[in-house]
Amino acid sequence: MKLLLRFFAALLAAAVTFAARAANELNLFGWSEYVPQAVIDGFTEETGIKVNFETYASNEELISKLVAGGGNYDLIQPSDYAAEAMIRQNLLAPLDLKRLHNLKNIDPEFLHRPHDPDGRFTVPYMSGTVGIVVNTGKVKTPIKGYRDVFQPAFKDRIVVLNDNREIVSWALDTLGLPINTITPENLAKVRPVIAEWVKLVKVFDSDSPKTALLNGDVDLGVVWSGEAAILWHQDKRFQYVIPAEGAHQFLDLLAIPATAKNKDAAHDFIDYILRPEVSKLISDAFPYTNPNREAHRLLSTEALDNPASYPHGDGGKLESFRDIGKAAADIDRLMTDLKSAR
Amino acid sequence: MDTLATPAATSLAAAPAIDRRTPRWRAWLLLTPMIVWLVAFVVAPTAILFVYSFCERDELGRVVFSFTLENYQRVSDPIYLRIFLRSIGYAGLTTAICVVVGYPVAYCIGRASEVWRQRLLLLVMVPFWTSFLIRTYAWITILKQEGLLNGALQAMALVASPLDLLYTPFAVVIGLVYAYLPFMMLPIYGSVEKLDGSLIEAAHDLGAGPLRAFSSVIIPLTMPGIAAGTLLVFVPAIGMFAITDLLGGARVPLIGNVIQNQFMQARDWPFGAALGMVFMGLFAVSYWLLQLRGGASDELHG
Amino acid sequence: MSFMVELRKVTKRFGSFVAVDDVSLEIRAGEFLTLLGPSGCGKTTLLRMIAGFETPDAGTVLLDGEDVTQLPPYRRNVNQVFQSYALFPHLTVRENIGFGLRMQKMPAAEIDVRVAESVALVSLEGFEDRRPHQLSGGQRQRVALARALAPRPSVLLLDEPLSALDAKLRVAMQLELKRIQRQLGVTFVFVTHDQEEALTMSDRIALVNCGRIEQLGDGPEIYHRPATPFAADFIGEANLLEADFLGVNGGATVRVRVASGLELVLPAEVWPADVKHALISIRPEKLHISKSPVACENSFEARVDEEVFKGALDHLQLATTAGTRLNAVVANESAMFEAIHRGDRVFCGLHASDVVVVQSK
Repeated sequence: MKLLLRFFAALLAAAVTFAARAANELNLFGWSEYVPQAVIDGFTEETGIKVNFETYASNEELISKLVAGGGNYDLIQPSDYAAEAMIRQNLLAPLDLKRLHNLKNIDPEFLHRPHDPDGRFTVPYMSGTVGIVVNTGKVKTPIKGYRDVFQPAFKDRIVVLNDNREIVSWALDTLGLPINTITPENLAKVRPVIAEWVKLVKVFDSDSPKTALLNGDVDLGVVWSGEAAILWHQDKRFQYVIPAEGAHQFLDLLAIPATAKNKDAAHDFIDYILRPEVSKLISDAFPYTNPNREAHRLLSTEALDNPASYPHGDGGKLESFRDIGKAAADIDRLMTDLKSAR
Repeated sequence: MDTLATPAATSLAAAPAIDRRTPRWRAWLLLTPMIVWLVAFVVAPTAILFVYSFCERDELGRVVFSFTLENYQRVSDPIYLRIFLRSIGYAGLTTAICVVVGYPVAYCIGRASEVWRQRLLLLVMVPFWTSFLIRTYAWITILKQEGLLNGALQAMALVASPLDLLYTPFAVVIGLVYAYLPFMMLPIYGSVEKLDGSLIEAAHDLGAGPLRAFSSVIIPLTMPGIAAGTLLVFVPAIGMFAITDLLGGARVPLIGNVIQNQFMQARDWPFGAALGMVFMGLFAVSYWLLQLRGGASDELHG
Repeated sequence: MSFMVELRKVTKRFGSFVAVDDVSLEIRAGEFLTLLGPSGCGKTTLLRMIAGFETPDAGTVLLDGEDVTQLPPYRRNVNQVFQSYALFPHLTVRENIGFGLRMQKMPAAEIDVRVAESVALVSLEGFEDRRPHQLSGGQRQRVALARALAPRPSVLLLDEPLSALDAKLRVAMQLELKRIQRQLGVTFVFVTHDQEEALTMSDRIALVNCGRIEQLGDGPEIYHRPATPFAADFIGEANLLEADFLGVNGGATVRVRVASGLELVLPAEVWPADVKHALISIRPEKLHISKSPVACENSFEARVDEEVFKGALDHLQLATTAGTRLNAVVANESAMFEAIHRGDRVFCGLHASDVVVVQSK
């Protein structure tokens, strides 16, 4: 009995200390596999601010959880179209640009994008594309676009992202339709295309599609460029191709929710990320396209040569996603139907 | 029999009034934490979901409080009915395999000597000490193309090229059975342990060979355990989504995946709530049906 | 005479404990034989070996001349009534009784007939559709009996089936069982630790002690001529006394002295030859108690130390002038009933033929 009482007392004390220290913390809500632990630890060492890192695997998950008001998130990593929706709904806090000394390090090409033309709410974090990765050790035929991937010859050897919107956009690209016009007519047109594709896919994985490729369970797929870059780094036989029909280019951002408690700490963290040496650490771990010009000078030639991280420019047109609002449900319905038809 | 009732009745009547009140107070006090927990984490969320299922959604997927039956109408869409049926099919298969695999093991443990029983039960429980997700990932290591199973089969020259095991319905069923087997075994073990050994001897004595003794006496008397195990396996298995994602390559959505999608990617909470409510209704029906069976067997241990 | 059950030099060990030690037993067809003995004496193990639940470590078991030692219970034409009845809780009375018949693959119509017969045999008409938990102890016992008898086994084994019943019901069931056994003519092998029960029902009694059969015979034989001290003490009450040989008394009788000095005479042929010391047994009811001297071969005085009234009989604890302690029993219609109290001095008479030698050293 005494032991139990002592245990509860200790628990209570810990809880009180936790609450007291909340002020000196940063609640970071980001993509899984996107912020290296070394970066987080470095920040904590320098500032003494404890970082609580939670993750999500899709923008929709981010929006859902943010809107649910569950955690008190201080800093989030939305993609462009998600930020667009959130800005429209007044979910993001305007940034105090005076505190972001290192913002000048960002390549202007990545600023003033349609989702946040004035750059008042978001700061570029990483950019990338969704394209084709091929294990050239197993696949000998030339792969140039989606149509080359989804061939009966590759049945059950393909991995794709478990992202319904992505898959629909690839199908729209192959039909030459705009990827941000999600109407019932367009969906009806892509339906037969996707129906065929779904039969050929072995794995749907947004978390870590490289696993299946490394395991040898699949030979090619359509994945995040960062994943492809890591594969290329491990084994040069994994080649990355921007599909000829067109591809999705995304820009992931840092933003501060309107309900954030630790806005100061959040600003400090953003400025910290914008430092070239910190940005380099991120690139080392997650070789997406780094928008930080100054960081490029610190990257190795091999990193800059990585075709997945810094594509050479051949391949199809690059487009970014826009917010589609309620049409997300229609996409989900279509994909659920097609997936379960197997 | 009658001679027992009278002394008990007289002792009750003789007890002073105060004594009879205090136990009830204390009993409720002891139950309070559990009731609070249940209300806060089970009853309240379910009520909230129930309300949501009749609401609409805005652009961002948040709930808008205007009454609509649209969500339940969508549930009856053949797409989702098909998925429900498929989920029930997987769950049913899982339950059946769990019974066939789990019963013999539970039976052996139940009839083993005291010492061995403890050890074997421990072996059954130990996997629980590891995170469920890690155990499921372990199966990936075993089933993948260059994994342990394929390696072993090839080493023993049983197959020429690696088998396609991972990311198939086969892998999903293995994952489900593995996850739920203990839930089937433990209730059956409970039933077997309570089994009176002399009943089996009586069956043998009256001419029943091992097989007939099993079917005529042992199975009927351990039926409560099987029923409890079925309840613990069947319904949760219907809603399982992690295993389809991890071991099935997320190829075929089950109802759990669909519901998860509504709250995540599709940003349609009211519809997800409606699906969830229907799923809960399913559980209530199964529970009721199994209670009917189980109730009849209450007499067995009367 | 054919033997329905034969045990030939059977031994059974559990670990280092010897439960049954080189036992041979022949049970006649149609007889009611009781295995009588204290708890842990091995009688249940013997029964289980006949049923087939235990396999002997040595020796053979024969049923109706056939070696069944290695046969499992479901192949032996032997049925058992268990101490806990072991009724199948999920079946009705009718289904319980019919269980063995279903195992024999008897046609349904025949099963119905046989079940009805068995129900009538144990007087349980009207209870056929009840479940065991709806029956009283005595009713369950009767179902167990009917269930075991329905398949018409050649031997019925009963493992202390009446121990859970209250006294009056026990006595009634004892007579019932005897009646049924006579009616059916089935060989009954009955196990009990209650000697009165054994005496009431059995044709023959096998006294079992420490894994061995100490005496086999009918009631009167064991009672009047117990072969061992255990036999003398276990059945009925006995005064067991150490006796030293004193001398021959004119050919027909011998004289012995009991430990504390009391001298008794007993028939010469009863005392084994050339033996100086033996254990003798005197049944309490054989002592004739009176307020005036009794004319008997043995006659002595004693003081009444204790008097216990037990209904039909009065139990007395006596101490002779020499100090020997004896138990005596007086029937309450005897003229002495009113007159004997604690502390009284009485006269005892004992016929020489009532002294029995149970063990010679």
